[in-house]
Amino acid sequence: MTSQSSTQRIHRLAIANRGEVAVRIIRACEELDIETVLLHSEVDVNSRAYRMANKKICIGPAPTAESYLNIRANINGAIASGAQAIHPGFGFLSENANFAQACRDEGIIFVGPSPESIRQLGDKVSCKALAKSLGLPLVPGYEGEDQSLSKLLSEAEKIGFPAIVKAAAGGGGRGMKVLRNIEEAKELIESAQREALSAFGSSKVFLEKYLDRAKHIEFQIFGDVTGKVFHLLDRECSVQRRHQKIIEEATSPSLTLELRRKMAEASCLIAEAARYQGAGTVEFLFQDDEFFLLEVNTRLQVEHPVTEMVMGVDLVKAQILTAQGEGVFGHWASKNQIRQPHGHSIECRIYAENPFLGGVPSTGKLGTVHWPEGPGRRFEYGFESGDEITAYYDPMIAKVIVWDETRLRAIKKMKKVLSESIVFGVHTNIPYLQEILSHTEFVNGKMTTRFIDKYFSEPIASQLPNESEEKIIREARSLVKASGLGRGKSLELDSPFTKSWRGV
Amino acid sequence: MKYLIQSSESSVWLDAEYVQGKFWIHFNGKTFCFEEEKQKSGRGKKSESAHASDLVAPMPGKVTKILASINEQIKKGDPVLVMEAMKMEYTLKAGAPGEIVKVNCQVGDQVFIGQILVELRPLDASSGGEPRG
Repeated sequence: MTSQSSTQRIHRLAIANRGEVAVRIIRACEELDIETVLLHSEVDVNSRAYRMANKKICIGPAPTAESYLNIRANINGAIASGAQAIHPGFGFLSENANFAQACRDEGIIFVGPSPESIRQLGDKVSCKALAKSLGLPLVPGYEGEDQSLSKLLSEAEKIGFPAIVKAAAGGGGRGMKVLRNIEEAKELIESAQREALSAFGSSKVFLEKYLDRAKHIEFQIFGDVTGKVFHLLDRECSVQRRHQKIIEEATSPSLTLELRRKMAEASCLIAEAARYQGAGTVEFLFQDDEFFLLEVNTRLQVEHPVTEMVMGVDLVKAQILTAQGEGVFGHWASKNQIRQPHGHSIECRIYAENPFLGGVPSTGKLGTVHWPEGPGRRFEYGFESGDEITAYYDPMIAKVIVWDETRLRAIKKMKKVLSESIVFGVHTNIPYLQEILSHTEFVNGKMTTRFIDKYFSEPIASQLPNESEEKIIREARSLVKASGLGRGKSLELDSPFTKSWRGV
Repeated sequence: MKYLIQSSESSVWLDAEYVQGKFWIHFNGKTFCFEEEKQKSGRGKKSESAHASDLVAPMPGKVTKILASINEQIKKGDPVLVMEAMKMEYTLKAGAPGEIVKVNCQVGDQVFIGQILVELRPLDASSGGEPRG
């Protein structure tokens, strides 16, 4: 991050990420007249970001440890490209203090908070210590240095079951397991340690009491160049499976004005204490009108679009402007007024997985992909027809975001949009999302983080075509075959059947 | 590709396409996917020869832990093997009580969908054991 007094215009920016977030960053750069450099792995050449970026530099083979998680490779790529700045997106190196430090050491602007802020807030253990010193409410737990299995097991018993084990360097649900009893605990803690090591490069874990009817509510914060931290209200992300968010919305349907004010104050307090700059998120668990600080994510969040939709901001541009040393959101400070959200926004994460087989990953080449554009609809995606979804990376292939004037209308719009969205070649969780969006508890806004466990732990029933649908499918099949598009054959324009179908 | 199917009562616009040997179709807000009738890929064959009790990879990925060993008797629901794909761990559990007769993979192996990872001889408590066919 540049010093507070000087501004440094960024002309070229490297992106240390892939998929839809890389596309999102490229779009922001295009609007700011900044050239983009995509730092990509060998297998990611068939992707939208690759086609959009001004420059591309291959930084290594497919496995993340050798490419997207390799600090040196990313730094070297950025230097070789002549980029002045690196945007880390989310996941991968975005919350890695060593990466932010390496950028600083090489004179590259890291689009995000300082290495010091990341160390203090990003490490969940030191974040808790800071929160404690500020008098903020925390979930009881163990975050000691002794990481032996016997110590972790005895601490888990002390906390009481159910307890939860989490990766200290983690996020996104990886390396996170609920411990229901001592018998299961050993296996699950070991599994969490392995996942933590594989995903974050550190096997360090901590334990917490598991709140079994809590909501997940988080506040978007933003530290500008003056050192002031603003908040942009809240999001609710209670719909989670295996601690991975599936549906998010802004704002939460559950907060009173008074609670919203208190949680926003707590969020800004801890961020200012860590001299936070740029976009970040303070996560809370909320149960029985009480809130507990969970963690601070020192990066842009996957679900940032819902905040953008109801607050009328562009968080990625704001990040880049801040990295250049420019002021953003300053006009709000002078007004000193409570910001009102405009309408309601919902995001659904589209995962490449088979909902009829309990969500096992689905990989392969994408066929037709169609996102139905319209007012109040936004699609963030990184792959198009012909691109390959591989098993190397996260299964999230797109995000569908809708905005409408009320929550119920937004839900209705989302259902319509999903029903018109087409992804061929890999299975997606769209049928699963449709069922969740129709569930009474979700519609009433009463869902907790146990919602998926309670109602959607089993694979959903396969959609079998009814009789009239069967008929249509049979006809379509013969049409497609006749058109020469079956089994990979190319289109024969002089086919006698071309008149019976219409290409669009 | 979009197609128009017309009948006397109605007409339906739909999207349909073959992608890598599978037929995908979307209409009336739903997507269906069908395997071709004649399975000729090696993948399909492998799955067919698997016994119901065998543990088969539900996805492509890497084997990260094998929790049972040969000749070990396990209960229904016992974790047998841990796989990782897309940065998440999945534990494969025994679908029925049985005895491990063969482990076809090692920790670190990249496995494909449908691959038989662990072969299990079913032990049926009520009927006193069912020989594999």
